[in-house]
Amino acid sequence: MTQPVIELADLHVKIGKREILRGLNLELRGLTVGLLGPNGAGKSTLINTLLGFWKPTQGTARVLGYDVRTDARQIRAQIGYMPENDSFIADMPAISYVRMAAELSGLPPDAALERAHESLFYVGLGEARYRKLGAYSLGMKQMAKLAQAIVHGPRLVILDEPTNGLDPQARIRMIKLIQEMRALGTMNLVICSHLLRDIEETCEEAVILKAGQVVHYSNLEEERASNRRFVEIETEGDDGTFADAIELLGCACAVTAPGKIKTVLPEGIEIRDIYRLAADRDVQLRRLNYRRDSLEDIFLKAMER
Amino acid sequence: MAVYKRTYKGYSGPLTSPLWRFTVLQRYAFKAIFKSRFLLIGYVACFFVPLLAICFLYLNQNASLLAMVGQKPGFLKIDAGWFHNFLTAQAVLAGVLTAFVGPGLVAPDLANGALPVYLSRPFSRFEYILGKGLVLGSLIASITLFPLLTLFGIQSSLVGYQWFEKNLYIGGGILFSCLTIMVVFILLGLSMSAFVRWRIVAGALVLAVFAAGKGFGAVINGVMRTSNGYYLDLQYLLSTIATDLFRQTPEDPPISPLSAWAAVITFCVLLLLLINRKLRVCEVAG
Repeated sequence: MTQPVIELADLHVKIGKREILRGLNLELRGLTVGLLGPNGAGKSTLINTLLGFWKPTQGTARVLGYDVRTDARQIRAQIGYMPENDSFIADMPAISYVRMAAELSGLPPDAALERAHESLFYVGLGEARYRKLGAYSLGMKQMAKLAQAIVHGPRLVILDEPTNGLDPQARIRMIKLIQEMRALGTMNLVICSHLLRDIEETCEEAVILKAGQVVHYSNLEEERASNRRFVEIETEGDDGTFADAIELLGCACAVTAPGKIKTVLPEGIEIRDIYRLAADRDVQLRRLNYRRDSLEDIFLKAMER
Repeated sequence: MAVYKRTYKGYSGPLTSPLWRFTVLQRYAFKAIFKSRFLLIGYVACFFVPLLAICFLYLNQNASLLAMVGQKPGFLKIDAGWFHNFLTAQAVLAGVLTAFVGPGLVAPDLANGALPVYLSRPFSRFEYILGKGLVLGSLIASITLFPLLTLFGIQSSLVGYQWFEKNLYIGGGILFSCLTIMVVFILLGLSMSAFVRWRIVAGALVLAVFAAGKGFGAVINGVMRTSNGYYLDLQYLLSTIATDLFRQTPEDPPISPLSAWAAVITFCVLLLLLINRKLRVCEVAG
């Protein structure tokens, strides 16, 4: 079994007199993990604790096997962090900013310069890399933050609200980049967001926090797979017997309107069996959808608890 | 790989020593400082007086040249007072340099929340402060400590070992006075830069600490007929310490060197507390 990326055992964190995190227990192994929760749930505090900015008042937190209490420096050497808020030096060109970030992570100056160029091209700021960060648009600043987070080739990248304040096009670009990074398979990603769609589109696992506690853990990949069995079909040329034929295969079936069928595929029945049945009966399949619980449904259920 | 190829790869090359990583900040800071022609000219101008002083020391011991004007070598006395006066002149320049350079060190990082970018790496808050402080420290040392020690060395080599042995305390005075000035100015520059994120205001505040302290101190002394006002006058306190180190203390000083030390140390502790409070990663308890 692979080593957990993040391991929390009865983690409590207090800021002043207020207890923000209250006994978190988690083991996250996925390549991309989403941290969800309403404002004040403790998402940012958890991230800051993982980075070693806050010390746990009770319990333990381990990142990539290192204890946040004693090995903060080793953890930070393996992490890339994209903060939620503005994090730039206005009168510094992006190339210098990203290069300096790489050097602070320990890269020699020449390697840092090369990696800074590559990272800025990777996030789509290649043409603007000599411009001062103060002159960047909000979307460009977000990309520059991402570039500094990945420039040193970290094992774990923490993205705090990566699509914050982005227009729809810039958001799509950011989501696509995160998906690409996930596809590389060389780094783990923790994405903290209150936007369910972002997490749904990018993550394999989701943790929902509420009032400093884990209220739901969801393996989105598994849920996607399990809910695949629920299928909505729209047909053309059906004489009314196609639903009966599907039932004969062993599927639970309901006709909601003429030519519209909802069915649940049991174990051993695959979607290709439906295609074959339709072909045998000369029925056209105009629409075939897998329906599943959206993350929104899961989130709302978790918030009701 | 050509940079225009939009791909990403991990890094598995060598890493620099963590011990010297704070020097990264110095490199970038110097680059930013000397990009300003105004600061560059100002910095170069700080070496004008030391160069004149070197010429003066040489001429003061040049027998053939002095003979032409009917003087003997060493006709002007080079003693602790001379070095103390020289230090005072250079310290004023160091104060001005602090006001111009100091605010540009920390304020730009805090203005747009760049601190998490530094501190989320294997780089501590102490290293950050050390790195930024050494920028100011090396600039101040280059116009105070190094020129003064150079002058002391030149004078020793021109006059001889006996002068050096007899005046060794001057070397100690130079070293400890300059170190004290450096520490105070570094802490003052960094704390004002962290306290006010607007560069111009931070620079003005550095100068205001000297001016306001002097003003308030004088008012307190005048109104209350006391010498306690001197404790607010940072320039006077530093001068009292330097005077003592150069063994120039008058018979009955308004405040004792020991009191001056205590006041300066208290002032430094307050500045350190301010830095500690301001230079934190912004936390959002979300």
